[in-house]
Amino acid sequence: MIKNYFSIAIRYLLRHKGYTITNILGLSIGIASCILIMLFVKSEFSYDKFHTKSERIYRAWLHEKYEGQEFINTQTPIPLGPALVSNFPEVESMCRVYTFSTLVQYKGSKFNEPLNMVDSNFFQLFDFKLAEGDIHSVFTNNHSLVISQELAKKYFGNDQAIGKNIELQLGDEMVLFTVTAVTEKTPLESSIQFDMLIPHSNENLLFSERARSRGWTSVFEETYVLLQNGKSGKDVEDKMPDLAKKIAGDNYVEGQYNVNLQPITEIHLDKSLPAGNLPVSDPAYGYILGIIGILILLIACINFVTLSIGRSTTRAMEVGIRKVLGAERKQLISQFWGEAILIALISLVVAVGMAFIFLKPFNAISNRELVFSLSVFNILFLFSLVILIGLIAGIYPAIVLSAYNPVKVLKNRLQGAISIGFFRKALIGAQFTASIIMIIGTIVIGQQLNYLQNKNLGFDKEHVVVVSTNKPRADGTPLAEKFKTELLKNAQVLGSSISIFSFSEPGWVNLGYEDDNKIYRNFRMNSIDADFVGNMKLQLIKGRNFSVDNPADIANSMIVNESLVKEYGWTDPIGKKLPGRFDHTVIGVVKDFHFESLHNKIQPLALVMMPDSMIRKANDVAFVFSPQPRINIRLKEGNLRKQISSLEKDWKSVAPNQDFEYKFLDESLNNQYKEEVRLASIVRYASLLSIFIACMGLFGLSAMAVRRRTKEIGIRKVLGADIKSVVILLSKDFIWLIILAALVAFPISLWALNKWLQDFVYRIQVEWWVFIAAGAIALLIALITVSFQAIKAAIANPVKSLRTE
Amino acid sequence: MLELKGIFKWYHSGNNRTFLLKNIDLSVKVGEFISVMGPSGSGKSTLLNVIGMLDTFDQGEYHFLNESVHKLKEKQRSILYKQYIGFVFQAYHLLDELTVYENIETPLIYQDIKSSERQAMVADMLDRFRIVGKKDLFPAQLSGGQQQLVGVARALIANPKLLLADEPTGNLNSKQGEEIMELFKELNNDGVTIIQVTHSEKNAAYGSRIINLLDGSIEH
Repeated sequence: MIKNYFSIAIRYLLRHKGYTITNILGLSIGIASCILIMLFVKSEFSYDKFHTKSERIYRAWLHEKYEGQEFINTQTPIPLGPALVSNFPEVESMCRVYTFSTLVQYKGSKFNEPLNMVDSNFFQLFDFKLAEGDIHSVFTNNHSLVISQELAKKYFGNDQAIGKNIELQLGDEMVLFTVTAVTEKTPLESSIQFDMLIPHSNENLLFSERARSRGWTSVFEETYVLLQNGKSGKDVEDKMPDLAKKIAGDNYVEGQYNVNLQPITEIHLDKSLPAGNLPVSDPAYGYILGIIGILILLIACINFVTLSIGRSTTRAMEVGIRKVLGAERKQLISQFWGEAILIALISLVVAVGMAFIFLKPFNAISNRELVFSLSVFNILFLFSLVILIGLIAGIYPAIVLSAYNPVKVLKNRLQGAISIGFFRKALIGAQFTASIIMIIGTIVIGQQLNYLQNKNLGFDKEHVVVVSTNKPRADGTPLAEKFKTELLKNAQVLGSSISIFSFSEPGWVNLGYEDDNKIYRNFRMNSIDADFVGNMKLQLIKGRNFSVDNPADIANSMIVNESLVKEYGWTDPIGKKLPGRFDHTVIGVVKDFHFESLHNKIQPLALVMMPDSMIRKANDVAFVFSPQPRINIRLKEGNLRKQISSLEKDWKSVAPNQDFEYKFLDESLNNQYKEEVRLASIVRYASLLSIFIACMGLFGLSAMAVRRRTKEIGIRKVLGADIKSVVILLSKDFIWLIILAALVAFPISLWALNKWLQDFVYRIQVEWWVFIAAGAIALLIALITVSFQAIKAAIANPVKSLRTE
Repeated sequence: MLELKGIFKWYHSGNNRTFLLKNIDLSVKVGEFISVMGPSGSGKSTLLNVIGMLDTFDQGEYHFLNESVHKLKEKQRSILYKQYIGFVFQAYHLLDELTVYENIETPLIYQDIKSSERQAMVADMLDRFRIVGKKDLFPAQLSGGQQQLVGVARALIANPKLLLADEPTGNLNSKQGEEIMELFKELNNDGVTIIQVTHSEKNAAYGSRIINLLDGSIEH
């Protein structure tokens, strides 16, 4: 029986090549997209699961409530880890991870590199693999250094890395380290990424004695703990108040200081907590992609259904004959479903090939290193997908066709019975609804991206190069000054200024303090020189800029932004001081500008020339990037390569032993929107694919419609219809359908996009013309598809079609 | 073999009842060869479909080999006709995608007959109809007469007691038609009961009895 079905299916497919190719191609594209998106989503949801102890590893986070304000941090105080181990038997061990960047020196070359300081049980707790070295004797002493293969190649080429000596700047000292192990590439799906590791025992060089032993309110590093088998984070959290009491002593206030534990596997997709050492991902992106994958697949499945409806007249005959020959309905159902699954299987094979081919470009778009292997999970996923597609796609022939009454079918009395027009139209309508939603998504996401990249930020980002000194302030400032003086002679340079953070290090310094009324407040701060305001083209709206000739400006003057003026409710800001212990007085106010990405609201900001006293007097200081003098150089318009080499020459003349490290400001700023760029390109490709598949179905259907109406067209032409009227006759139905589909798509996409836009503090409004444009695009593409067939029918010789009847 | 008593079949158009079959009484004995004649629309095919259990009726009794068909459920009816009745159509109704061999084999598949047994039965049939050489051809590669030959072979493969033929020669030229009718006669001589619908007096003459239908009633 199976053989009979199988051969009839194969022969049917071979005979109706157009039908087969349309179906298989559509389904393959659908399945291939699903495979790629599945890989991505799987990667998103598998973060940190590669550690064998991942079920027992937690990251501590801090929740402080103070005077009605709340502070949540995933960076934790230095003494927390040891305290957790010594106070709670449930905590088997802990490992702290401190991430910073520092200057690395090897044989005269100097680079600024990110670096992690970790407790020595790092490789026992986590499952990172070593390429060279012994995992049990990695951190033998204070000066052991673990380095990644990639970095080993950068510094030592093909030489043996173990045993090499490298100097690292820790605090104010250059310290000699010896490489003891080389690690394999860190898995992408890891919330801990590193290129260099040094033992935590170097903490005394980086943190003050106070921070190390009593700094319970200063947060610096991530703390991971391993719990005993069978213990949950909650078990430990419940006992945390005991620790808080011990720490605070007489000052203990219930609920003020809370340490919580987050499972390591939840770090990556948990947006409710601030990011730790690495940015976290919005699970929404995983869901959006998953939905897109399902939509594309659904569009392909609908093709299958509508096409099989189209050829149901011929299949109905077969059903009639088989029934007369004794077939039972369930046998026909299994035959049709079997056929659908067979087509799905063939498509699967094609799709797997496509997925392999397109994996590389997809990785480029999605910024991943996904691998597609035929693992058990993947094979199971694919086979269940095929069964599912077969069941969905074969549902029409299996359920409807198999129910036909043989007498009616064989008597050709089926015209009435196949009143499936509505069902089929609804399906095509659904396809176009999905396609139009994706087209609208493409346009709006593109607009928002364009807005993000081109919005007036309140400063001029064009033609600016940022050069890092890669030295702490004490050494870096004189170097920066020297370089700046040198640049005065460079004809390509319009101007330059020095700041501790440039616009490529968004966030700058966050200072927290308690004001005169005991209210806790924060503001952002940056240290700049007198040229910064002019060079970056900030707009001074009140007061004046810093002056180099005025010693008071250097010591305790500040320029603030409008947001800060508003925050403190000042009507006449000049001469005001922050209501706390700071000595700085306002000498000028600049118009608000975006020193962080447009995801964030503009925060109150103070610009000073010497930050030391301000930092000293703040309660809390936090910054993401290493503070060091950076030179912002504004260039003339011209040949960039030549300009850069002239800058490098100037740099070498003041710092002959140090590498020239530079960034283009506009590029670094665009990097802030990587996630959005990625989404935009994925949605763009997805909408292209979906409309392509939908049109393939439409093409097949219009071919069938034309064939069915050949006689009608012939008669009409004999009666004098011209080509135009025939084309209109054949296209009319589809046009209405797409207009209807567009009307359904509009509110859905408006709702979804508004939801997405909520993520941005600064965003565009969705405009009405976008909908019209998307509808028009879909309509145009559909019309071209349909008229292709319609014109063919319209120009055919009517005598021919009438004779064959 | 079968007996129809007071069979009515109708449909409603507006408030009127239009009769397809009106008070049909018919009894058919084993070994008969009956020709049903009558003008177009007189209900010949409907009668044949009712006898073949492909179609239902609205009133009356139908007894087939001691079974009361009017009391059976659809499923039981299909088991009954699957086992005892073979069909031949004017338009042959072969499955285009299957070869001659596979077309003949199909009814056996639906009766869950084992593959080796099927092979033997189909081989016998091909032999008997002298179409062994055509077994791997598709219907489109055969002439009309050959196709109908396959159609008859397929109808007979499961050894039916009753062969129902709806204008079996309607699409054939006279020589091909004659051959089919000769074949029917032979089958009848071998003991197969046959009921055929025909327009042709000549073909009707092959039968042992002629029934004339007019407007759904048997003319006496």
